[in-house]
Amino acid sequence: MQELGPGSGADVDAAQPPIVMLHGLLLGSLASWYFTAAPALARSRRVILYDLRGHGLSQRVPGGYGVRAMAADLRALLDALAPQPVALVGHSWGALVALRLALDQPARVTRLALVEAPLPPGRLDELRAFAARDPRDMAAALPASLRAALDGGGRRGARLLAALAFLTGESSALADVAAEPDVPDDVLRGVRCPVLLAYGTDSSCLPVGERLARVIPGAHLARLSGGHYLHLDATAALTHALEVFLAEARPHA
Amino acid sequence: MADRRDEVLQTVARLIAEVVGDEWMQWGENKAITVETSFSGDLELESIEFVALAEKLQQQYGRGVDFVGWLSGKELDEIITLRVGQLVDFIVERAPATIEAVPEGRR
Repeated sequence: MQELGPGSGADVDAAQPPIVMLHGLLLGSLASWYFTAAPALARSRRVILYDLRGHGLSQRVPGGYGVRAMAADLRALLDALAPQPVALVGHSWGALVALRLALDQPARVTRLALVEAPLPPGRLDELRAFAARDPRDMAAALPASLRAALDGGGRRGARLLAALAFLTGESSALADVAAEPDVPDDVLRGVRCPVLLAYGTDSSCLPVGERLARVIPGAHLARLSGGHYLHLDATAALTHALEVFLAEARPHA
Repeated sequence: MADRRDEVLQTVARLIAEVVGDEWMQWGENKAITVETSFSGDLELESIEFVALAEKLQQQYGRGVDFVGWLSGKELDEIITLRVGQLVDFIVERAPATIEAVPEGRR
């Protein structure tokens, strides 16, 4: 877990809810946001980043990678760190976890930014193709920045492969993804807070963004130039879209 | 100033060893850390380990050394190619005295 905020000389805008950011499955960790959008958002806001179970420096647990189990983890984290309402930003699987919390506990979520949320979850082509590979071959399907980590086969590459081998081979992560049900349109219509949808123009998830934009009341779809790993492909554009969305006045303030 | 720089370099090197942990013996033995050492190419630090290092540095030098603010002014490519010396220079600039930790809210 990492908590960011303005450095000395600037104050947290106490009137604004904290921002909690969730990363994606398998390749993500809190570093996904720490090195991309989080520092800019933390200039004026309290920002909380954490490693999902089995990811980053979190404990490598065998099960509980489904959206509901992870939403329970998020609730426990919020109970401990931010009992007040928060704004949620999630990438990919992390976006589904954020969406789940907004549906289950709407009073807790002021704003929801869904970056490349895949629905139905198990049918994300990129993840299915990725999961079908041997961990050693997964490198070929990685975003360029991560692929660079594997070049040379050194320490970092070995650690990345070990983390992937655990999640794909020794945990229920892929089975949990396959078993994850879709969120039906009539449920999606129940999202009450303002929603930003950010999708890559080159991502196979873009039609999901278009569906969510049609169904979720008042949701805004931002099409950014890039693929599924939008925080890496379009760091500046995504950061800007998040800054603008998260700074908007609360509708009922 | 040169002494201060050496002192900070020693501290940064010690904290890197702490972050890398048990693997330090295996991977770090032949890698003496100098100002020229790069976090990515030489140390092969994972991004998540860099976050852990930043946290340790923050504890060591206090909130006045704002690593996140420093990183937010850099492009991803720049962060990837960072050298230990750049981090040391940043710390020396922000925490020039030999204070171990600046108390919260006092700068």
